[in-house]
Formats: sequence, C-alpha cells, structure tokens
Amino acid sequence: MIKVAGHSIEWREGMTISDLLGELNDPYPYAVVRINEAYISRPNFDKTAIPDDAEVYLIPMVAGG
Amino acid sequence: MSDYTLKVTKTLDYQRPEIEKGYTDQTLHVNISDADIAINPVEQKIKDTFIGGKGYDLWLLWNAVGSDTRWDDPQNAICIACGPLGGTPIYPGSGKSIVTTLSPLTQAPIDSNVGGYFGPYLKFSGFDALQIQGKASRDTVVFIDGIDGQIQILDAAGLPENAYELSTLLTDHFANGKPRNISVVSAGPGAQNTRIGCLNFTWYDAKRKRARYKQAGRGGIGTVFADKGLKAIVVRWDTVTADTNNPSNKGKLKEVAKLHSREIVALDPKQNEMARIGTTHLVTIMNDHDLLPTHNFRYGSHSAAPNLGQEVFRRLFDPGFDGCWMGCTVACSHGVKDFVPLTGPFKGEKVFVDGPEYETVAGCGSNLGIFDPHTVIELNFYCDAYGLDTISVGTGVAFAMECYEMGLINQTHTGGMDLSFGNRLSALEIVHQMAIGEGFGQIIGQGIRKMKEKFAGDFGADPGIMADIGMEAKGLEFSEYMTKESLAQQGGYGLALKGPQHDEAWLIFLDMVHNFMPTFEDKAEALHWFPMFRTWFSLCGLCKLPWNDIIPEDNKDTKEPAKVIKHLQWYADYFSSVTGRSSTPDDLVAMSEVVYNFQRIFNLKMGFGTRAHDALPYRAMGPVTELEYESRAERYDTQLQEKYKVDIDGKSTAEKLAIMRQLREEQYEKLQDAVYERRGWTSEGIPTVATVKRLGIDFDMVLEVLKANGVQ
Repeated sequence: MIKVAGHSIEWREGMTISDLLGELNDPYPYAVVRINEAYISRPNFDKTAIPDDAEVYLIPMVAGG
Repeated sequence: MSDYTLKVTKTLDYQRPEIEKGYTDQTLHVNISDADIAINPVEQKIKDTFIGGKGYDLWLLWNAVGSDTRWDDPQNAICIACGPLGGTPIYPGSGKSIVTTLSPLTQAPIDSNVGGYFGPYLKFSGFDALQIQGKASRDTVVFIDGIDGQIQILDAAGLPENAYELSTLLTDHFANGKPRNISVVSAGPGAQNTRIGCLNFTWYDAKRKRARYKQAGRGGIGTVFADKGLKAIVVRWDTVTADTNNPSNKGKLKEVAKLHSREIVALDPKQNEMARIGTTHLVTIMNDHDLLPTHNFRYGSHSAAPNLGQEVFRRLFDPGFDGCWMGCTVACSHGVKDFVPLTGPFKGEKVFVDGPEYETVAGCGSNLGIFDPHTVIELNFYCDAYGLDTISVGTGVAFAMECYEMGLINQTHTGGMDLSFGNRLSALEIVHQMAIGEGFGQIIGQGIRKMKEKFAGDFGADPGIMADIGMEAKGLEFSEYMTKESLAQQGGYGLALKGPQHDEAWLIFLDMVHNFMPTFEDKAEALHWFPMFRTWFSLCGLCKLPWNDIIPEDNKDTKEPAKVIKHLQWYADYFSSVTGRSSTPDDLVAMSEVVYNFQRIFNLKMGFGTRAHDALPYRAMGPVTELEYESRAERYDTQLQEKYKVDIDGKSTAEKLAIMRQLREEQYEKLQDAVYERRGWTSEGIPTVATVKRLGIDFDMVLEVLKANGVQ
C-alpha cells in the first residue's frame, strides 16, 4: 500500500508516478510530486517508480518567490 | 572582538506616539552630514495614496532627490519602512522592512524587501519610515531607542568591518541584557568597495542565542549605506504582541491570522517543507524543467545539480525554528551551524552561516559551474559578512567566467587567475578581493554594465557578444531563473521597474510548465495583475511566501489557481482588520497600482522608465551561440517548424539561430505593446495623464515629469 494525500492506495510493482496520476483521475496539471522526502518533477514522472509503503504528496505548485 | 568606542555626538529625546491601526503617522529624518534629526507628520492624503512601506519610501525618496541626483550624492536617501500590517506576530510573514534608495547600478530607485526585526521595531518605536541623508566624515552609528524615547548619532571607532561580528557586537552593546530587543542594519567592506553591496538586517535567535541576519540584497543599497559613512543603524524595542499595532478589529484579525497560520502548519509538511528546507527544493525542480541557470544562463540543467538540492541541504541545515519574524509559521530562514571556511579571515574557525536560499545556490553554484554545496555555503557566508549581494555576485562572476572561456579576457586581465567555470577557489578569491577593493574582484564588483564597458574599452573585447551574454537589464544583474522558453517571464524580468528581479512577476511555471497563459493578451493580463498584487506586500510590510508557496488543498479547483483566491480574501480581511479601511482583494491591487505607476514615473524623472530601458540581453530570450542551439536542437527545430512555420531544410545552425532570434525579439516587442496598453501606458511605456488621474497621483510634480517626456 502507498499513501497518497492521506488516502491508502494499492501498490503494485513498477508503478510510476504517471501511472498513479492516471489512476487518480485528477485533471490538475501537477508539475511536482513528492515521494517521501524526494521531489520528482513532471519530466521524470514516467520513469520514476513508486516504492511500496511510500507516502506520496501531490504538490500544487503554481508560482512562488 | 575588537576594542571599540562609541561616542554620542547628538541626542534627541522624543515622545513616542501610540500606534493607531498599524500606523504612527510620523516619519524620522536623520541627516548625518550635520547630525540633524527631525520628526515629520504624515499627511492624510499621503497615507491614503501610498499606504506605507515601499509607498512611503518612494514618496520620501522622490522628495529628497532631484532629477540630477546621483547615488553617491549626500542628497540621496536611504529610506526604510515597515507598513501598517508589519509587526503583527500572529499572522505569518509579517515582519518585513522595505528599503529604497537611488541605486549605484541602475542610477534609478531600487527597492528591496527584507526580513529581520528592524522594520517592526522602527514602527513600534514611533516611526512609519526612516529617511537617512547626508554623508558622515567619520564612521557613524544611528541608534533609535523606542523604549527610552531617544535617538542618538554616535561616532564609532574600532568596530569590526564585517557584518558577522559587527551585528553580534552591536546587539550586545545596546541590548541592556535583552538581545531580542535589538535589530541591527549594517553593510560591510565589500559594500564599500563595490557597487553591489547589500544590507544585513538582524533578528535574534533565542534558541541559538545569536544575532542572525537577512539581506536587503538587490541594487547596491549597501554600497550607498557604506558610502554615507554609516556603520550601522540600531533600533531597540520591547515586547511585541497582537495588540502592539492597536488593530482596528482585533477579533477579526485573530480569526484570519489563525486560519492562515494553521493552514501553513498543516500543509507545509505535505508540500514544500519550507520550515525544514527553505527554498532549496527549487534547485532540482528548476533543473528538471531546464530552468536552473548553469554556466552564465547558457543552459537550464546539469547532471550534477542534485549535489546542490534539498536532499543535501536537508542534512546540512541546523534543525530548529528559523522564522525571521516572530510567530511566522513558514519559518524558512535556515542556516548551517559550525561551518568551517577553507579561505579568508575566518579560515579554520567555526561560524554560523545564514542560508543559503535558492537564489544563492543557483547564483553562486550552478551558474558558476560549481556543484559543491560547501563552496556555495562559504560564498554565502562571506558575501553576507562583506555586505555583498549573492545574486549580483553570482551573475557577475558567471559573466566574467564566460568572457574568460570565450577568450574575451585572459589571465593578463584577471591578475593570473583561472576563471574557468567551476573554479571554486577563484570564485572565493574574487569575493575576498571585492571585500578589499583590489584585483579583478574589484572590477567584477562594479557590476556587469561597468564590466562590459571596461572589457571593451580597456581589454578590446567584442561589445556585441557581451551585450548578448551580459545578464543585466537596467544595470541590475538577473536573478536566477532561465527565461529563454517563457515569454511571460522575459516580460517579468524586462518590464520590472527596478530591473530583472523575480519579486515583481514569477510567471515561469504558469507560462512554461502549466501553459496557463497561451495568448499575448493572457500574458499581458498576468504582467499587469501579478506585479500589482505582489507590490502590495511591500506596501504593508509583508512576505509573499505565505500567499502562494503553501497552497490550500482545494485551490486547484478554483477558477484562477495562480491567484490563490482564498488567500487574497484573507489578506483583504487582514488589511481591513488592522487598518479599519474596509477592503476587497481588488482594492489591494488598486493600492499597488498607484505606487507601481508612481515608481515608473520616478524612473522617468531620473532619466529612465521608457520602452528602451525595458530591453533585455538576447540570452534572456533565446540561444546566443550555436552550441546553445545545438544542445536543444530538437526543441528549437520543432518550434521553428511548428510554431513559426519555417522551412528549416538545408539551413545551417547559424541560419536557424538568426531566424530564431528575429522571431523571438519580435515576440518580446509585441509583448511590450500588449503590456503597456493593459497598464494604461503609452507605446513608449509611460503612464498616460488619464492613468495618473485615475490613480490619484496627478500631483503637479508628476504631471511635470510626464509633460517633459511628451505626455500631456
């Protein structure tokens, strides 16, 4: 199992961030996702596998500074 | 610590006024040429029009200087103000000071928004703003004692040169056993010997029992400070509570403050962890999106960038509460404990380093081809201690390094120094040279615009290529974001009033990553709204980070997520509850529009502020060299073919580069047209008479400046 925004989701081997976002059916264009303490950017969503028991945070980054 | 003396030469006793709804309604004026101290009331019209903070600063500065005043004239003023909301200890990010002066880099008004306790303590001591003019013949300290109601001017001798030791010493000297009651503003020897000096504003870290500091970095304000003979300005104030501002509606204030404060506590750990890692999370995110400047903004990413990322600084930062103002739950002012420099006067000693933040990491790290965090920390430490702006240092050294690698300058010019990208010891040596005003560091310390003149005039370097790769606009060095692929951010930098600093408009993510503004009109609207709203924080004494760096979970479902509408309403409620002036979010933007246009006309008064002054170096818009083009050839080829319908078959890289340049420069011109129109300016970028009348700044002196520039 992994935790995404506080909710438990079934984990499977090789599950990428892109896979997860597809399953969540959330249309928001996330640019950054945090897996535990690691910040992953959109260009790496396809190639970043989520480990089992991970805590995943969807970062709603729009601006800053 | 050195033996020192502080001798009082002038004292003024004063009766401290009660704070009324966030205001004292008076300003303090100190002329250190003749040790004159005056306290002036703030007229209601000025209060209503300029709100406070940067608005008050600009009003004071406009009236202090003439159109022919230069940065190093005694008439030039350094103005420091808080704002009506500043000093509220229960609302996150409410302790900012805003500093303005005529810049040694741009010759025009510069402003900087800085943390630390000074601004709030100044206000609680009885003054909405401080104006310092004149020049002292001896080292001078100004002491504002809000507890005893006394202002002193002191002759100083034997004080430390560097801000690191000076801040500690003066905190101890004036604290009377309570160091938390003190805030010190100081510069340093680098500020004296360059044009890129910063100011250090202290806050007292009770847990670590030390004075720490934040920097008013941009535009050489520290250089003006040092040139005046000022060693420090010190303020002393007592306990701060939610009542100290005497808010109009304390109940409403507490209610909205609690909402925002608790939201940050709940969401920051789930989002950017700023209370743990500051802004260092941005390093790898920018790198992944090809937005992290490397090698003088040639490229936006590098395989070694993670060495400078949050995973490293998470381990290097000393854990603990690091808020630069009381009660701030963002608390992003992290530092490195027991750091041991390898070079310079503190070599081998354990020091505490305040920072680094993202800008310093990118400027003094990746943009120099340096991917060693310890070198970045050491550069950070010495820049602060010497009173140097880490952004101008980083961008300036990066330019010199590229000139060196291009063969535009060589070791006969650098004093034998190898200035190749990535040379850590050379970067450190340059900073030490800046501090003493000697060697090639002294030349770099004059800023990129002066470097370009010298390299062309004295060293025979090609001015054309330097115009393209010298990352300055209006005379100010760029802050640390790549803009080649974001037209909106090109406008965010090029159209910024003071020069290319991201605090006016940070639109890269909205434009390039999210594509929220596909048309010229969309971009023009963003380049109207965002600079206006972001200006408002500096009118009120606030930090912008709580607005849009920690975001409500339902924000993504709102109509305009980039504006973080929920927080806009909270800020309107905050302003209303402190000042008693009932305000909506649109009212806040309207307040800023007044001050923003006034600053644009102030630029005009000083001989700038037109379309020509909003020009950018080409590297901000696109690839300058064939190497840059070829490094992202697929991206550029695709753009030429699909976006611009150019047939590239058989064309050389040089030919494609030239076509790309023409197209991108045309785009920027069109953007200027659209933004000027949206802002109510002429096609030359000057506010119209109708605009200044609508905004209520149709003062005679404003209309005279417009008339002198053909607008009536």
